[in-house]
Amino acid sequence: MSEHDEDVIERVVSELRRPVQIDPAVDTRVMEEIARLPVRRGHGGLRAARVAWRWLARPRAISLSPLAGLGIAAVFAALVLALSGRWPGPPSAPPGERATREFQFVVVEPHAARVSLVGDFNDWDAARTPMRRMQGGSVWSAVVPLRPGRYRYAFLVDGRRWLADPTAPAARDDEFGTPSSVVTVGSS
Amino acid sequence: MRRHCSCIVSVCALAAAFVASAAGQDPRLARLPPEAQAPVGALVDSARAAGLPAEPLVQRALEGATKQAPGDFIVAAVQRLAIDLGRARDALGSSASPAELSAGAAALRAGASPAVLTKLRRARRQPVTMPLAVLTDLVASGVPMDSAAAAVLTLAARAGDADLVEFRRAVERDIALGAPPGTAAAAAAADAAATAAVQVNARAREQRPGRP
Amino acid sequence: MGIDKVETSDADLVRRVLDGDTRAYAGLVARYRDRLGRYAMHMLGNREDAEEALQDAFVRGYRSLARCYEPERFGAWLYGILVNRCRTTGARATRRGRLFVRDEGALNGFAHPSGAERTEWEDAVHRALARLGPEYREAFLLKHVEDLEYETMARLTGAGVSALKMRVKRAREQLQVILREAERV
Repeated sequence: MSEHDEDVIERVVSELRRPVQIDPAVDTRVMEEIARLPVRRGHGGLRAARVAWRWLARPRAISLSPLAGLGIAAVFAALVLALSGRWPGPPSAPPGERATREFQFVVVEPHAARVSLVGDFNDWDAARTPMRRMQGGSVWSAVVPLRPGRYRYAFLVDGRRWLADPTAPAARDDEFGTPSSVVTVGSS
Repeated sequence: MRRHCSCIVSVCALAAAFVASAAGQDPRLARLPPEAQAPVGALVDSARAAGLPAEPLVQRALEGATKQAPGDFIVAAVQRLAIDLGRARDALGSSASPAELSAGAAALRAGASPAVLTKLRRARRQPVTMPLAVLTDLVASGVPMDSAAAAVLTLAARAGDADLVEFRRAVERDIALGAPPGTAAAAAAADAAATAAVQVNARAREQRPGRP
Repeated sequence: MGIDKVETSDADLVRRVLDGDTRAYAGLVARYRDRLGRYAMHMLGNREDAEEALQDAFVRGYRSLARCYEPERFGAWLYGILVNRCRTTGARATRRGRLFVRDEGALNGFAHPSGAERTEWEDAVHRALARLGPEYREAFLLKHVEDLEYETMARLTGAGVSALKMRVKRAREQLQVILREAERV
């Protein structure tokens, strides 16, 4: 490969390494999609046990004296036996939680002082579900438990401006002159 | 003695009237404009008496109240919904859940025929809430009702709720890319039908908590 | 203490998500969006597909977060998911392209950071990249643009280290040939 060719590759890499700006709305869409998933329950100690197990089980190259090697192998074997005996199974959801799922609603409103989530799930009461500002300050979020069903909703910005959710299907019958969106919660 | 008896009777009558009115009126309806409270209360009562879910009607009224709509708009909206819920129940059967009836009412309002609802009910063992919702959402995106109904009916038998949501998103994406809505729906339905079985299994594995 | 006030590590954010704080995932998304998005854009050649693959990768990352056994290496782990999504999205886009007529010119725009017109050289580079076979393009981007070690690349792609070295070498050779031709024209 000639020097010129090397230079070309370097210029190519330099061009490709330039920052690419992705639309920040991707963040909103991701969190919106995640909101429709079943809520994650805390794992706490279960996860710590699993991480420890994987750390122990992963092969590593190490240099040891034979005696040290035997000693470590014995400890390792003892730990393996102890952990496998007490290996907990996955946590099962309690019966009540199968009925409702928590959904996260997210909207981008950089200049709002306050945003409320209102809909069929909270009696359209603007005081019931004030949204919280997330990192960066433009993204507002609220989490609501929902049973299976179909819910009309909208965002009320600063107590006077109605906003539909741009990433959700529009409510078809807009009977009151302001936009609304729909979320449908399935049973599976 | 007579004065004592008539006193007791009056008190009982008052108490009965009070209890009757309290039981009939949902306290949330006090948020409505005064002229709408009685008509909406009556609509809610007759829906309940007919075995239809009252909650969607109350929520529609509260939506109007929060949006500061005039009283007659609110009454008209609640009346329309009550009629649609009745039609949905006729099409889906009396065992339909409130969620199914709400979704059915929305689909009928979007232009679905009762026959489509009935076919959907026959085609699917699981609740029909999601297919009806997806049908309505597709029409809201511009897919003609016939194409939307055909696509949803194709998927209804085997696709799970999550697959139907995925299908709706795929159609919306393709429409955004310039595909004619009807074609987008047909193409995505064919795709989804082919992969529904595989995806359902994969998703079930992923969503189980805590498996390495 | 919110995630906007303190620079929290990937491992901390991952642990918080697994403990039930879904909002903490937004921090990871914001942190990796542009970096992963750059790979997706170069790999797939257009914004629509890149954003779709990116969004898909983030959601899958969330759903399988319990299987990220080294939370401090969340970024590399997420790369693996993205590489996979780009392969799937690329294949699907090709199939979709046969069904609809798309305006390729409108869809293949890159957002230039400074807003200026793309230069001829930029065009030439992206065209050359698009002409590489997907495996070569993938290997070249992961090695030279994303700066990953061959061992890491092997884990992400499922290919052996020698095969990857060969792909990178071939990619470099092909890029040189294509760009030399372009310069002559």
